[in-house]
Amino acid sequence: MPRVLNNTYEELVEKAQEIFWVNGFKGVSIKGLSEHLGVSQSVIYNKFSKDLLFLDSLNYYTSNYSDPFLSQLRETTEGLDSLKDFFYALIDALLDKTFPKSCLMVNTIVELRNENEDVVKKYDNYLRVLKDSYKVVLEKAHKLGQIKERQKIDDYAEFLLGVIFSLSILYKIKPIEELRQYIDEELSFLV
Amino acid sequence: MRYKEYNTNRVLDKCIVLFWDKGYNGCSINEIVETTGVNRFSLYHEFSNKEGILYESLNLYRERYTADNFAILNLEGDLVSILKNFYLSFLQESGPVQGCYFIHIGTELADNDPRVKKSVDDFLMHINDLIVKLLVKHSYEINDAQLKARHLLGLYCTVMSFCLIHTPEEREKYTLNGIKVILS
Repeated sequence: MPRVLNNTYEELVEKAQEIFWVNGFKGVSIKGLSEHLGVSQSVIYNKFSKDLLFLDSLNYYTSNYSDPFLSQLRETTEGLDSLKDFFYALIDALLDKTFPKSCLMVNTIVELRNENEDVVKKYDNYLRVLKDSYKVVLEKAHKLGQIKERQKIDDYAEFLLGVIFSLSILYKIKPIEELRQYIDEELSFLV
Repeated sequence: MRYKEYNTNRVLDKCIVLFWDKGYNGCSINEIVETTGVNRFSLYHEFSNKEGILYESLNLYRERYTADNFAILNLEGDLVSILKNFYLSFLQESGPVQGCYFIHIGTELADNDPRVKKSVDDFLMHINDLIVKLLVKHSYEINDAQLKARHLLGLYCTVMSFCLIHTPEEREKYTLNGIKVILS
């Protein structure tokens, strides 16, 4: 008689993304994955695969963490002040472990780089949405008179794309006051 | 003595590449034994444990592979080009890894391991100090130099993580844009 799974696939993905987020893709063995998910190793080998669970973990992450965070950002009205609130909220999420370990997409980019085509597609899309969201807010900042030259918006959005990467390392070694000061100063370069 | 020292560094070189490719947590002591060709007992005798290998590999990387990169910051010439060349020098194929070993290990471990955290912080502060000196040499006021250096250091972290997925042209463009936004 075939073994019946107690969990739906969606539940397994939700659990898998927890462990991938903390340990990375390579830091999770099939054995570790099977223990964390409570399913046998053969189920992972035969029914899904570590790769598939990882890709769906990235989807889970974007739809549950980054997309809501970014759609909120796009709806803000205060330009650079809204960006500041956004980055402060990100710092809090990193420090209080709402984001258990940095950002899963950032970790994935650093860990896997261009090794896997399907993964590249996922983070390319994530980076595009991130940059577009910054541009939406920078346009508002321009209308508010906080940014003078409209043609600089693309360069500024590109610059801001890096903030999440520098924060991902700095939050591990710097106190919160310095991180907030870093954001304030970083935004002061956008004129 | 001499023979042993050479041997230790060669073992650590292989570990740097191994930790870079698979992550520190992604490789077992068995893989370290296989990759280095040194048996478990000798490894433990030399480094006490797996963490010991990691700490020593960070020291070796800093001592052996970063001097040429840091030397760029002491060169004479155009400030923007010096900074750009400094960043991009880490991404060339000359060293054991393409990127910065400290940023890579820090991303994986700095929140769990106080020694890694200190080691990464020291490394970054060293870069910070060199950039402050460079900016002062280029007539920046000390306060402004310190402010700009903090962000050029942030840019360093970004280039060593984000830009690893870029083509050389994209990297250069991203790096130049960052330097210009910070210095303008």
